[in-house]
Amino acid sequence: MEKNLFEVYRTSQLQSPSLIVGWQTRDIGKIGSKVTNFLKEKLGGLEVGEVKPLGFFPLGGAVFKDDLIQIPESKFWACEKNNLLIFKSNGPKYEWYKFLNTVLDFAEYHCKAKELYTVSGTVSSIAHTTPRRILTVSNQSQFQEGLRSYGLEDMDWEGPPAISSCLLWVAQRRGIPGASLWPEVPFYLATKEDPEAIKLSLSFLDRRFNLDLDLGELDLEIRRQNEKIAQLREENSEVNECIGILERGLSLGEDEQMKLAKEVSELLEKRGD
Amino acid sequence: MTIKLYKEPKLEKPDLIVGWPGIGNVGIIAVDTLRGQLQAEELGEIEPWDFFYPRKVSIKNGLMEDLKFPTNKFYYQRVEEKDLIFFIGEQQPTEGEGAYSKGEKAYQMANLVLDVGLEFGCQRVYTSGACVSLIHHQMKPRVRAVVSSETLAREVKKYQNTILMSQMEGKVGEGVITGLNGLLLAVAKKRGLESICLMGEIPDWLSQVPQPYPKASKSVLEVFAEILRIRIDFMALDYMTTQIEEIIEKIYEKFPSEMKEKYDQRKFITQVEPGAITEEDAKWIEEHIDELFKKGDKEDGEKPV
Repeated sequence: MEKNLFEVYRTSQLQSPSLIVGWQTRDIGKIGSKVTNFLKEKLGGLEVGEVKPLGFFPLGGAVFKDDLIQIPESKFWACEKNNLLIFKSNGPKYEWYKFLNTVLDFAEYHCKAKELYTVSGTVSSIAHTTPRRILTVSNQSQFQEGLRSYGLEDMDWEGPPAISSCLLWVAQRRGIPGASLWPEVPFYLATKEDPEAIKLSLSFLDRRFNLDLDLGELDLEIRRQNEKIAQLREENSEVNECIGILERGLSLGEDEQMKLAKEVSELLEKRGD
Repeated sequence: MTIKLYKEPKLEKPDLIVGWPGIGNVGIIAVDTLRGQLQAEELGEIEPWDFFYPRKVSIKNGLMEDLKFPTNKFYYQRVEEKDLIFFIGEQQPTEGEGAYSKGEKAYQMANLVLDVGLEFGCQRVYTSGACVSLIHHQMKPRVRAVVSSETLAREVKKYQNTILMSQMEGKVGEGVITGLNGLLLAVAKKRGLESICLMGEIPDWLSQVPQPYPKASKSVLEVFAEILRIRIDFMALDYMTTQIEEIIEKIYEKFPSEMKEKYDQRKFITQVEPGAITEEDAKWIEEHIDELFKKGDKEDGEKPV
């Protein structure tokens, strides 16, 4: 373990906590960042440490977005009452394997974390009105069995891995049980927030860890977003037809998909979402 | 960074023959064909995760099966009283952009490959690649060589169809061998090993297309056959060459007549800047290559999982 790769701010009182990880890079439906933010805010998470950026992120200048300087962030929060360790980070640009091992070094050796959950959105061709599912991947069959009663769906996939899959694999090599949760996000909400998928992920974590979360504010967001899209459907027959096709379980052509994504994206930007 | 050896055979001063992908995959095709023909056995590998991001994840019924990485494998075989170790890297490690290695990762990879060679008493290293040349595609590519010592230079001159870079008219014997096929030679020299790079000629206008150029690989293999005193079956390579040549000929047929005439001079005058194509010609070729070499599959961006 290379201790100089991370910084410990304070010693936590966690006892074999569960590690919950969200990524804010390529964050489909903003699931990773919103779920981790919600948990640390509502559960009184205390900053306990970080993975230092040197060697993992390009540090040749500062990126800004919406006039705000962005810095690569890789921080840990301890929610002591609920025995959760939260990690929110940008995906590393370099040395992914060393970075992910550093995350697990901090969690395992410093906080004695016993298991891992990653939360990220997966793009789906469903309509936003269709009930979302959480597709799940576990790195140990016994751990998978322990999640059976939560109504999660098994995932099947072969293709390029995202950073969550890499973390799950590194954890598997180290004998840390874990699962990646992939709530479905309608493709036309992928670059925006998807409060429905965020709520679904939080509901699972709420039940899994008996967190007693109040998810009422998310219901409000879901209602507002659905109303906006409903209004767009009334105003724009093409959008209405496209979503209707998706609601019937059919798929759209590439051009139609692009157009729908553009219209919804513009709507949510224009109206301040 | 770990080397994993599956076995520890007793080898006597083996030569190390190394191949990575590069222009026209000339080098790696030659080295891998040689490895295959000699039925070299697996010896070990360099664990990939410090060098590469995985290519693929396999998930079945909700369980993670594995991540797949580019392979970096060692093989060994004995031929005609000569022991050989092969190293085949499916990809060059890069830091950031580009297909060719540079920087710390490349240096580390080169040293790991040589660590294995030295562990088995290796004294000589061969790499192979492509040499972008002003040749005609209908000509037999020559093999150009760069070596680590004068003694080796004298040896290489004896090989068939092989010339040292300094023997080219109009050349001063200076240049750069990009990526690990080059860097390995330098690191080998630094670590006291003899090193030879055998580069098959590829026509300049074909050096940027995403297709192999097996004709040059064959030239390199013929030299390896001479060095190792072995017979090689070129049937598979010849078949691949025929298929690629068909595509190349289709492009060639569409060359504007003036350009074709100029390019054809290359068949009769070799060595001295024959029928160099102009910027305008190059632009025309580039545009048409895109049409004819267009890949069937779209390469998608990163998937969510």
